[in-house]
Amino acid sequence: MTAPTQADPAQAYAQFLEALAEADEYAAIDVASRLLDARVPAERVLLDLVAPAQAEVGERWARNEWSVAQEHAATHISERVVAAVAAQANPRPTRGRVVVACMDGEWHALPPRLVAEVLRLRGWQVTFLGASVPAAHLVSYLHRHDAHAVALACALPMRLPHAHRMIEACRRSDVPVVVGGRGFGDDGRWARTLGVAWAPDAPTAADLVADERALRRVRPAELPHLADDEYAGLVKRRGELIDSALADLRERVPAVEHYTPAQLDSTISDLGYIVDFLAAALYVDDDSLFTDFVDWLAQILSSRGVPSGAVGLTLGHYHRLLRDFPRAGRFLALGKARVAARRDTVRG
Amino acid sequence: MEWRYRDTGVGWAEEIGTYGPLPRAVGVDTRSGAQLVTSADVRGADPGDGRISTPSDVRGPARPSEAVVRPSSALPPLAPDRGHPEPDWSEVVEHFREGLVVCDPDGVVRHLSPVAERLLPEVAQGRPLTAAGVPGLRSGGPGEFAHHGRRLRIRAMPLSGGRSCHYVEDVTESVTRADALLAERARSAFLAVVGEKLGNPLHPDRAAAAVVRLAVPTLAEVAVLVLAPRSGRARWWRASRADDEAAAVDSGVLSATALPPAIAEGLSGVEPHAVDWLVEQAVDAGWLPGLEASEVVARVLPLPGREAPAGALLVARRATRWYDEDDVELVRAFAARAGAALTTAVLYRDQAEVADTLQASLLPVEPITVAGVQWGTAYRPAQASLRIGGDFYGSHRLPDGGSVFFLGDVSGKGVEAAVFTGQLRQCLQALHRVESHPGRLLKLLNDALLETTQAHGQGRFATMVLGVVRPQRDGALTLTMAGGGHLPPLVLRASGEVEAVPLSGMLIGVVPDPRIGEVTVRLEPGETCLLYSDGVTEARGGRRGDEQFGHERLVHAVTGCHRVPAPALAERVEQVTCDWLAHGDHDDIAVLALRATGPGGRPPRHLHAVPAAGGPAEQRETRQ
Repeated sequence: MTAPTQADPAQAYAQFLEALAEADEYAAIDVASRLLDARVPAERVLLDLVAPAQAEVGERWARNEWSVAQEHAATHISERVVAAVAAQANPRPTRGRVVVACMDGEWHALPPRLVAEVLRLRGWQVTFLGASVPAAHLVSYLHRHDAHAVALACALPMRLPHAHRMIEACRRSDVPVVVGGRGFGDDGRWARTLGVAWAPDAPTAADLVADERALRRVRPAELPHLADDEYAGLVKRRGELIDSALADLRERVPAVEHYTPAQLDSTISDLGYIVDFLAAALYVDDDSLFTDFVDWLAQILSSRGVPSGAVGLTLGHYHRLLRDFPRAGRFLALGKARVAARRDTVRG
Repeated sequence: MEWRYRDTGVGWAEEIGTYGPLPRAVGVDTRSGAQLVTSADVRGADPGDGRISTPSDVRGPARPSEAVVRPSSALPPLAPDRGHPEPDWSEVVEHFREGLVVCDPDGVVRHLSPVAERLLPEVAQGRPLTAAGVPGLRSGGPGEFAHHGRRLRIRAMPLSGGRSCHYVEDVTESVTRADALLAERARSAFLAVVGEKLGNPLHPDRAAAAVVRLAVPTLAEVAVLVLAPRSGRARWWRASRADDEAAAVDSGVLSATALPPAIAEGLSGVEPHAVDWLVEQAVDAGWLPGLEASEVVARVLPLPGREAPAGALLVARRATRWYDEDDVELVRAFAARAGAALTTAVLYRDQAEVADTLQASLLPVEPITVAGVQWGTAYRPAQASLRIGGDFYGSHRLPDGGSVFFLGDVSGKGVEAAVFTGQLRQCLQALHRVESHPGRLLKLLNDALLETTQAHGQGRFATMVLGVVRPQRDGALTLTMAGGGHLPPLVLRASGEVEAVPLSGMLIGVVPDPRIGEVTVRLEPGETCLLYSDGVTEARGGRRGDEQFGHERLVHAVTGCHRVPAPALAERVEQVTCDWLAHGDHDDIAVLALRATGPGGRPPRHLHAVPAAGGPAEQRETRQ
């Protein structure tokens, strides 16, 4: 252990990651407290220590180095650290109320929690509603408490259609919305499609919240493509598509017969995710949403010993079933090309 | 369009050629000595207003030519070849609705029809047209302009020999009608937007801000809403627009006695009429920054409420746009909607305050701190907007350093179920002071509930697990649990094994002296006991949304989580359940986890070095 006065950020980061790896809440809080004692601003501790460490946790899970359980534990420790930093800084609210929440179905609560604390440090009175907030809960909260703005987080693009409904619900309560999270694309392009203000990070979100005119100055959603009903049609056929894809896999991949119930469940989930991401891509009419997901899924599966060819099979199967869906067909064909390109790189 | 028109023009020329001589003089005024206007002049020129697109349309403006040239026509009175006298064109022209101004190649007015004389009194024969000083005449092209309070439409057409003819029409009537229609449409559209924006129940402050923001710029450059005073203080909101940006909204508070008289009058339901006096008051109140009283017009209208007005709305704008009767009518319609929205908002707030207080008393209370115990909880009621339901959990401190804890589920859903959980928790709160043995405490609770439900004829019952946790010296925890017909808890052992605790028993609040199961479990440091409601295992989801989550999936979801802190474990159970539901309807969900943290409150370290058990495929789960 280094001397307690040590507050070198790079060293602190390594120590912090180690504390997360060991699920040692107290060691992690110690690292953050030492930085605060060395007069590092609380906002910097949150954004330069906790945030990148959490990103690393996600990476380690994606590379299959950490189990879901480890990731959960590490995230919990990070949350405790955020709470400790917030308690130590203890800012006095001087500005209006801002509500921060995760979209319905969204469980990645740490990034919005960091946004919430940065807003609090900047004098806002912040209410953090937590993970997966049902739209009805959020709206009834907005009716009961006068909010200056709502900040909504979405980490997975597959939730964009739900996110859009939630944004609209807030708008109907006449509360401006700012969104964030990777779910809206690295450059926030899907936030633009849905007609909502977007912030790439916590400081930008805080700046936006402080500028009410900028918050209200958003272009309307551009969703004329929804008129072709492909999105609605795909959502309606979700169950049927998954059933049929599973039957197809059983036929082509003999190993599926011997899957444990748990393996079968996660296969069904993956088949469902493909449909959900395809639906979201149709919703915002962007093939890159789908092809990026295919890339990511192939990477996740291959790091867990599942050949990416299986993904290609399912994309081909969906493509055959969705003959009457020209846009979906195009996205699936692009997805298949991605999987094929990936296999070629692996071979080469 | 153009090519069609030209084509037709050629065709006509041929037609005319076939039918014989043209009327050489279709001229307007032979007396003036000016060159005659030939029929070719009229036909060949483009009226230029874009209305002409089909041959039949073309014939219209070409006026007499058809009748003139067609000998077979039923009405050929103007055809000179029938031997009739040539008509007096000046006489005909006098009755045109359009006025005619014919200029020579130098732009000097050579002829002026009586209508043109009336519409354009500045234009004089023998003088250049431009000398008349009518701006609308200079552009040359077709256009509309206001002149002496009339709306004139003009089009110029080149004639042969470099001459030109201006056709002037008075379109005041039709334009006024069209304008009125457009204005009416704009008003309806505005009120539709207002209805949409204010149609949802809003927080009263939001509603007030929305009202002033909507009023700008359609109704006013500055709009101020003053709410009816509450306890001697009146709050106001103001929206103003400095540039093309969205309106900026601010707010403030005034003492009820310091309100401008016109506002006070408005709040009493009167529409004040003394307009100048009103502007002075608004300026004095500091509501019209950067505006002089002399350059502003303003109105104050009451916002109708339930009994007295909900507030008063002041609209002000530069005197260049006066509030006419239509405008005031629109402001009144707006005020009616705004008043309704504010009344709804206040009503909603008053009810929500009551509901909030009641809900808060029914929400599960987080467990109390006990040395050596880390608690984790999750709670998700079936009705998200209600935030309360029929599941409950909680804990009470015991004098010996231990704690009573419980998790359960009452029959029914929603408010009634939540109220019943409140009664049940109240009972436990009192009973744990006289009895700390789980089995006997649960029986006491059963008797108490039975008495209450029989007295009220409710027929409600509950299932629950009730336990007592006592920390041991070695950091372990001893859990003695009694079962009242609830799902048996799970224990996550340090080895990674997940055990179901054998705990059975009968429903609570149904029969006197029910059979209550009892079991004692020892948790070593780092081990966790998990209590959950049937909202978890009976969650319906999967491929078709009709498959139950079930015990097996729950066990699988928590397998490998034996090193996870209790709060994270509870959240994980909540998450996998909700993921399984995939936005489907669900029953109330409650989770309570107790983890033995070991001596000193610090969980054992270096637990994460070993990757979790289980094959790679089993750990798959899509998280990004």
